[in-house]
Amino acid sequence: MSKKLSLIAGLAGAALGASLLATVPAEAASKSVWTTANSAKAGGGLDALVKAAQKEGTLNLIATPRDWADYGDAIDAYSKAFHIKVVSDNPDGSSAQEITAIKTTKNMTKMPDVVDIGASHIAEAAGLFANYKVINWNDIPSAWKDPKGNWFGGYAGKIAIFYDTSVSPAPTKIKDLTNPAYKGMVAIAGDPTAAQQALITVFAASVANGGSAENIQPGIDFFKSLKASGNFVAVKADTSNFASGAYKIGFGWDYNASGSIAAAATIGKTVKWVYPTDAIVQGTPYVLAINKTAPHPAAARLWEEYMFSQVNGKKAKSLGAGDWKKYSGTKLMSMIIGGQNTYVLGGAHPITEPAMVSKKTIVAPPASVSVPGKLPKAVYPNVAQQTAATTILTTAWPNL
Amino acid sequence: MSTFEAATAAGTSGGGSLTLTKATRPHKIKGKRSSLLPLVPFFAFVGYFLIYPLFTVSKDAFLDNSGHFTLANFSQAFHGVYAQGFLLSMRLSLASALVSAVIGAALASAIVRIGQQSRKVLVAIASVLANTGGVPLAFMFIASFGAQGLVTKALKFAGIDLYAGRFTLFSFMGLLLVYCFFQIPLMVLIFSPALENVRPEWREANDSLGGSKVDYFKNVSVPLLFPAFLSTTLLLFANAFSAYATARAMTAGQMPLVPLLIGNLVDGNVIANQEHLGHALAVVMIGVSLVVMSMYLVVLRLTKSRS
Repeated sequence: MSKKLSLIAGLAGAALGASLLATVPAEAASKSVWTTANSAKAGGGLDALVKAAQKEGTLNLIATPRDWADYGDAIDAYSKAFHIKVVSDNPDGSSAQEITAIKTTKNMTKMPDVVDIGASHIAEAAGLFANYKVINWNDIPSAWKDPKGNWFGGYAGKIAIFYDTSVSPAPTKIKDLTNPAYKGMVAIAGDPTAAQQALITVFAASVANGGSAENIQPGIDFFKSLKASGNFVAVKADTSNFASGAYKIGFGWDYNASGSIAAAATIGKTVKWVYPTDAIVQGTPYVLAINKTAPHPAAARLWEEYMFSQVNGKKAKSLGAGDWKKYSGTKLMSMIIGGQNTYVLGGAHPITEPAMVSKKTIVAPPASVSVPGKLPKAVYPNVAQQTAATTILTTAWPNL
Repeated sequence: MSTFEAATAAGTSGGGSLTLTKATRPHKIKGKRSSLLPLVPFFAFVGYFLIYPLFTVSKDAFLDNSGHFTLANFSQAFHGVYAQGFLLSMRLSLASALVSAVIGAALASAIVRIGQQSRKVLVAIASVLANTGGVPLAFMFIASFGAQGLVTKALKFAGIDLYAGRFTLFSFMGLLLVYCFFQIPLMVLIFSPALENVRPEWREANDSLGGSKVDYFKNVSVPLLFPAFLSTTLLLFANAFSAYATARAMTAGQMPLVPLLIGNLVDGNVIANQEHLGHALAVVMIGVSLVVMSMYLVVLRLTKSRS
């Protein structure tokens, strides 16, 4: 209940954990060539990487929810194919918590091996990551990778509108939401200065109203008018608030559509997701990186190889239990559905999407978000534009 | 960032040695002081979970991102949206403390008059409600008083439209309503003992001397209970001032309360590299809480010395 206490307790808890476990020796793996190998080739090839990762036996993940961009399927496929135990800590944690976890849990076997953080947090994590270039490195657009491989974009989402099908008329574009019929119905995914999903929603509203990635103001003005008309409700557009009827029309990442539709179905509601016809805005990608002092350096590198694999192959349940013993690492990697395609299955947009489209290795996305006949050209705010918008929003948003 | 590591490392070893000396000292000292031995776990706990974090937060508040001393965080903390946040937090805390203190005191005086059995039940209920908070509390209110809430619907059926005017749950008035929900029971809990100290003989004395009910209230109850009332009100202020999760779940950034602003700075997915400002805000909050709590202690001491 008390932020002050929880803040303090959190900090102290992390510190206590560190001091209790500081005596546990880091695994002998720290001597492995994979601690510093900056590519699979440099460490002896993919087969050797898989062998070393299997020897380590474990991979520590943090802030990786199973229902987020289909990470559940990715974890299962990696774990079964390579016979490596995946320990997933604090699945609902924030980017800031991931970085704090690396900083405060030095030399522990429990610290995260890899992270998945918001692009705005890259600078904050300077010096924490290992340089590593995955085999599919060249397919990652250069704007979204560190030239040395310190971090690399993984996937991104586009903002879509979702609504309770009882809402009439069904909204098709952002500008529709000023309709008086939607009084007390429209919500966004929280505070735009705290949640990227909400921030990009304001960008989308801006683009729909004549703004751009450079100009967030029309988006602020739009929500100001929605608030004045009583259409906007200041409640977080999440599943439980939807269930309580606190809002009926929300905005969210397209890759959260499947999960939201399934969740609504469990309470007997029908949710429909649609891309707005007046603005398509994609957020900055979430960034993947390897902890420089990862307790399982080979498993960490194998995880990234897997997440950037573009193979259209088998899911975990179609793999044989003994396959990991039967086949070489390279063979296993070519058998299982790669991370980039798993993102697609989760409705997200993998960073190597253009390359996959041209190589024809991409799977079909789920039909959870309706695509209207013709979509406007997508807008992609970059980190600098996001930061500039956040500065404006910090003052403007509470004073809508 | 290296400063953060250093602070953590230094703090960790410092905390370790603190517990060690505390643990060994009582063996050496004989007599009266050995009675402190059972308190060692308490001191260790307070040291680790309160003193040590207080120290690191205060230290970080005076550093910039490259670890150099600065006062810029504090100048930012007193300007713009952050100053607005402090004013709003204080307004909300004060309003909820005053409203809850008055209603809670009235409820408490009703409760102490009823039979022992039912009083126990009511106090138990109050202690549960006083500790209801966070997201579940927000959800309870959204599901009851939200635009589509059960109570809203029932009232509408009875001809009262909560949302006819400008009321929304996600506003100052809405938050006030929610905060009172845990503040009033807390007032009942901490104010009842003061009321129980009022002896029936005093009322009888007032009556037999020909005093009216108003006389009794004016000359006995108020002077006797005012210090306790004031001190509990201050406690309610501090309680509301630091509440976080409920407001977070209910406002989507529309109410810039200080705890929420701190949360955005140190734990968000959007704002990065501004932890030090968050720490400065926390230090100012601690300062406000200290002022309020010391006022509470002063009033409490006055109360005690009088009785």
